[in-house]
Amino acid sequence: MARYPKSLNFLENLIFVWFGFALIITVAGSSIQIPEWLQVFGRSHPLVLHFPIVLLLLGVCFSFVPAIEQNPDLKKLAQFIWIIGINFAGISVLAGLILSQEDYAGETLNLHQWTGWAVFIIAAVLYFSKDYSKTFLKTGSLILAVTVVLAGHWGASLTHGETFLLAPIIPEEPTQTNLAEAEVFKDVIQPIFQSKCISCHKEGKVKGKLRLDNVKEMIKGGKSGPFVVGGNLEESLLTQRIHLPLEEKKHMPPKDKTQLSEEERTLLTEWVKAGAVLDLKLHEVDSSSSLFKLASLRFNPEPVYSFEFADLDQVSELNNYYRTVEPLSPESPALIASYFGIAAFDPASLTDLEEVKEQIIQLNLDKIPLTGIDLSFLKSWPNLETLRLNFTQLDESQILEISEIQTLKSLAISGNKLSEKSIEGLLEMQKLRQLFLWQSGLSDEQKEKLKKGLPRTKIEFGYDDRGIIYPLNQPKIEQEKVLFKDSLEIKLSHPIKTVEVRYTLDGSEPDSLESPIYQNPIWVNSSGKLQAKAYAKGWISSNSVSSIFMKSGISPRDRKLLSQPSPNYKAKGIETLFDQVKGKNNHTSGEWLGYTDEPSWIEMELDPSTKIKNIGLSLLYHESAYIFPPTRVEIEFFENGSWKKIINEQPRQSTKIKEIRSDLIQYKVENRSPEKIRIKLYPIASLPSWHPGAGAKGWVFVDEILLN
Amino acid sequence: MEKEQLEQGLNHNRRKFLSKLSLGLGSAALGSLLIPDLFSGKGNSEEAIMNALPHFAPKAKRVIYLFQNGAPSQLESFDYKPLLKSSYGMDLPESIRMGQRLTGMTSGQDKFPLVGSFYDFQQYGESRAWISSIFPHTAGIVDDICIVKSMHTEAINHDPALTFFQTGAQVGNRPSFGSWLSYGLGSENSNLPAFCVLLSRGKGNGQGVYSKLWSNGFLDATHQGVQFSNSEDPVLYLKDPKSMSRDERRKMLDQIAAMNDIQYQEFNDPSISAKIQQYEMAYRMQTAVPEITDVSKEPDSIIKLYGPDCLVPGTYAANCLLARKLSESGVRFVQLYHQGWDQHDNLPSQMAMQAKDVDQASAALITDLKQRGLLDETLVIWGGEFGRTNYCQGKIQQDNYGRDHHPRAFSIWMAGGGVKSGIVYGETDEFGYNITENPVHVHDFQATVLNLLGIDHERLTYKHLGRRYRLTDVSGKVVKDLIA
Repeated sequence: MARYPKSLNFLENLIFVWFGFALIITVAGSSIQIPEWLQVFGRSHPLVLHFPIVLLLLGVCFSFVPAIEQNPDLKKLAQFIWIIGINFAGISVLAGLILSQEDYAGETLNLHQWTGWAVFIIAAVLYFSKDYSKTFLKTGSLILAVTVVLAGHWGASLTHGETFLLAPIIPEEPTQTNLAEAEVFKDVIQPIFQSKCISCHKEGKVKGKLRLDNVKEMIKGGKSGPFVVGGNLEESLLTQRIHLPLEEKKHMPPKDKTQLSEEERTLLTEWVKAGAVLDLKLHEVDSSSSLFKLASLRFNPEPVYSFEFADLDQVSELNNYYRTVEPLSPESPALIASYFGIAAFDPASLTDLEEVKEQIIQLNLDKIPLTGIDLSFLKSWPNLETLRLNFTQLDESQILEISEIQTLKSLAISGNKLSEKSIEGLLEMQKLRQLFLWQSGLSDEQKEKLKKGLPRTKIEFGYDDRGIIYPLNQPKIEQEKVLFKDSLEIKLSHPIKTVEVRYTLDGSEPDSLESPIYQNPIWVNSSGKLQAKAYAKGWISSNSVSSIFMKSGISPRDRKLLSQPSPNYKAKGIETLFDQVKGKNNHTSGEWLGYTDEPSWIEMELDPSTKIKNIGLSLLYHESAYIFPPTRVEIEFFENGSWKKIINEQPRQSTKIKEIRSDLIQYKVENRSPEKIRIKLYPIASLPSWHPGAGAKGWVFVDEILLN
Repeated sequence: MEKEQLEQGLNHNRRKFLSKLSLGLGSAALGSLLIPDLFSGKGNSEEAIMNALPHFAPKAKRVIYLFQNGAPSQLESFDYKPLLKSSYGMDLPESIRMGQRLTGMTSGQDKFPLVGSFYDFQQYGESRAWISSIFPHTAGIVDDICIVKSMHTEAINHDPALTFFQTGAQVGNRPSFGSWLSYGLGSENSNLPAFCVLLSRGKGNGQGVYSKLWSNGFLDATHQGVQFSNSEDPVLYLKDPKSMSRDERRKMLDQIAAMNDIQYQEFNDPSISAKIQQYEMAYRMQTAVPEITDVSKEPDSIIKLYGPDCLVPGTYAANCLLARKLSESGVRFVQLYHQGWDQHDNLPSQMAMQAKDVDQASAALITDLKQRGLLDETLVIWGGEFGRTNYCQGKIQQDNYGRDHHPRAFSIWMAGGGVKSGIVYGETDEFGYNITENPVHVHDFQATVLNLLGIDHERLTYKHLGRRYRLTDVSGKVVKDLIA
């Protein structure tokens, strides 16, 4: 056997190298980031691919020429053509795969990729099985040739577009109309006639003497009567005939012809119902009607802008901290300009936008003070559709200028007061689709007038608070502390500045007539409870809010707990009650003594001849945590060698679940000087029936005892 | 400091290595394999992504997300199930539960007694949607909103479920929804952060919110959510001290920026450049924020619309009003969290309180955006992290019960921003337990919201630790039926 050429061996090995690399990219392409230099290699694909096409097709041709088989030199040449062709196929596949990582996707790419792969594999298989039967090789060669052509075709489709090859012989499809321009008759109704009716109702085949290929003839109607009568479904033969049962002879289209779809039937009916107007634009149809809903599905909802793109550098120069000018979307030439920041607004900057006035479709100037600024330049912006000028302090002349902008579809001027004249101006804006007029100082008649005068505009008058009465929120009580020595300052406030806050200090509910109105901070010098309520015109008065304040009292010489608190809530024991620190509204704060199984029972021993006028108990209530007022309070004095019950009362019990809160119960005693005092607080033994834990034991929480 | 020195060393080594790359084609090839952007001249790939966004024309330009933290019960709000009322106390059939895992809170229960809504339902608007009596204001705007009754999620506890909703993954460290948008779309108004966070708390049983929910994850720190304070002064420390003039502040910032820049040249740490940008942003916020947070110029009827609480800083109503003002000023993503929706017990009393907190202000936000012509371009979302069980947790009573967590079906609503209005999407079975029609997974929801903003959720990616991440992880389908 002849010496196997080294170069041939090398080229054969090289095939596997291409194969390996290509396989990696095929399998793991999306998770590999292709470096830029390799992208350059990828982009050589359109160049390289011509080599395998030519070489492999040449190789295929060679395999069908018997003479070559007999000539060893030619046979060798053929072999080289094959191996070089296959290598180039490998390189093309690899480069193509890399290129496909850029912005290519879709069905055609898939087809091209796999036929490309197939060319490479089939050619390689044919090459390595060149000693097999001739028929196998020939069939294989033919398949290869077909695959090469297909791969080439789909590749060309990718670069030149799907329709490139056959474009000259395929008739051009009409361009799709977008929603903003579509006309009901021309773009919705007529196409239905075209597809379902015209074959029998046209020049040359005028069945029933009705012609639908010509609008004039259509209006004339046929031999049985008028084709359409605007708004009248009975008289219009169109709607009459299409709704007849299929079996009826006069049902249209005839039984054996293609029938109207349900959607088409509805469209035709609704069109007649809406008056069968010929030049009605779709966007003028009420958007909640079924005619609009069905018809609009047939059009591209995205408005298509045909004007030129603005210069990108120019646009980016217009952007700064206080103004953005951005494209509607990356593919759209339309621009949206917005201003931010009242303080930084410079009226002169509006003229900068003139550079891109052709492209701006929306301008947002909400809250920017525009008083006295000439806005007439906006009229020369050819594509301005949306203008947002809420709360911009516009005057009458400015609104009149704006109302002359012919292109506007949406105008928001909420928060600007409208004069009668400005309303007249707005009434001219018949092309407007949306109008926002909240807080414009309009009377009901003026609103009605606008609604009537702009029947095709959706006007938003916004929220109207007339006749709506809500309760006010509670006033806020601010006091530095609860326990004080000499006097304490208490401040009241309410977030709504016009509100009147009334208060009481005697524990009674404030009322709107007699309780004092809060004006200056209140100074108190004895223990008590403040209650406050907010009142305002047009509002229901708030719930009352309360706060306690306690004057620190006499410290007993000796004190002890006669009953122990629950082990979880024993705080600092007896000292808790005399530490002159008011506990936070939280029974687990470690500042409260909690009792449930037995009453809280405290004994105090006073210095001789200490006079007591008032005894205060600081308690915590929180029904949802089972913490209730005590059911009974007993106070005993030890005087002249015996105990006497001074107080035996039942404080007011809770009647519903309320927020966690503290309370101060005070008892007046007649200037007495007992040697000892005992206080007993009974926790509620069985929670009331309205409580989720009905029947369970409740709690008493106490944190301070005040003797004065 | 040790760490910084090590990092500096690494940065230096890389730069030295890069400077030697010009030696030959081989090393250049190797270098560009290692650092793909080396020769691109584009600076970084992030910029390349930014330049290509949005991917298509957006319907919504901004989002206000009213997150109801703790998971409000769908059965007492938007998913009306009369069967639960008539089957009071009956055990949930196994054929319905189908092995659904339980939380530790009810896994010990030997019975799952069904319980219906304590509140009455009624149909409202042209959409005839059923809404419970504790949401009267929401019922008033029903034709402006789209109720999705067929949401479902993968998590069953608050933290993972919240994190899943906000970041697309149940474990932390991924960028939050708002951060992705800040990264993808940037801020409309460069004087304000693109992503702001407002917190409030109701009286009901609450669950925590934590800053990881508005974290930038592996994205640049400039994309982090800015949490507003619940005080009269929503952005703390924004005011200059009394004697400092604006010029002085400017000079000071310029000097700091120069020094930071020296450090940046030295260490190449991206968090330094983020810091420089944040100082600059704060400087501009000094004038932008007071304009926005000042409610005194709001018309009186706004107070009635949102309710008087809107003037009390830190309330949900105040946050809704602030959200509108921020959104109106171009903030891309305003995230509210309202805590207190975790009604494991005492549901009838707690849920009514919670609803009272949020109902009026949520509806007011929609009305307010609408009357300014902003609803078309602002997407508002209302909803929690999962639903609640159709059976009672703990002791069942006619007028007092609780519900446990339920991930298989729950309701949210959306409005504006290109979402269909006045529709109810999806359906659950008559037990309110499983979805029977049009399920919407959290990733589907995220993909849909991104789509409304003009973003292909599969193309908004960021490469980190060797793989590309996206908000929707590896799934998510745009729910076309929700898009107008």
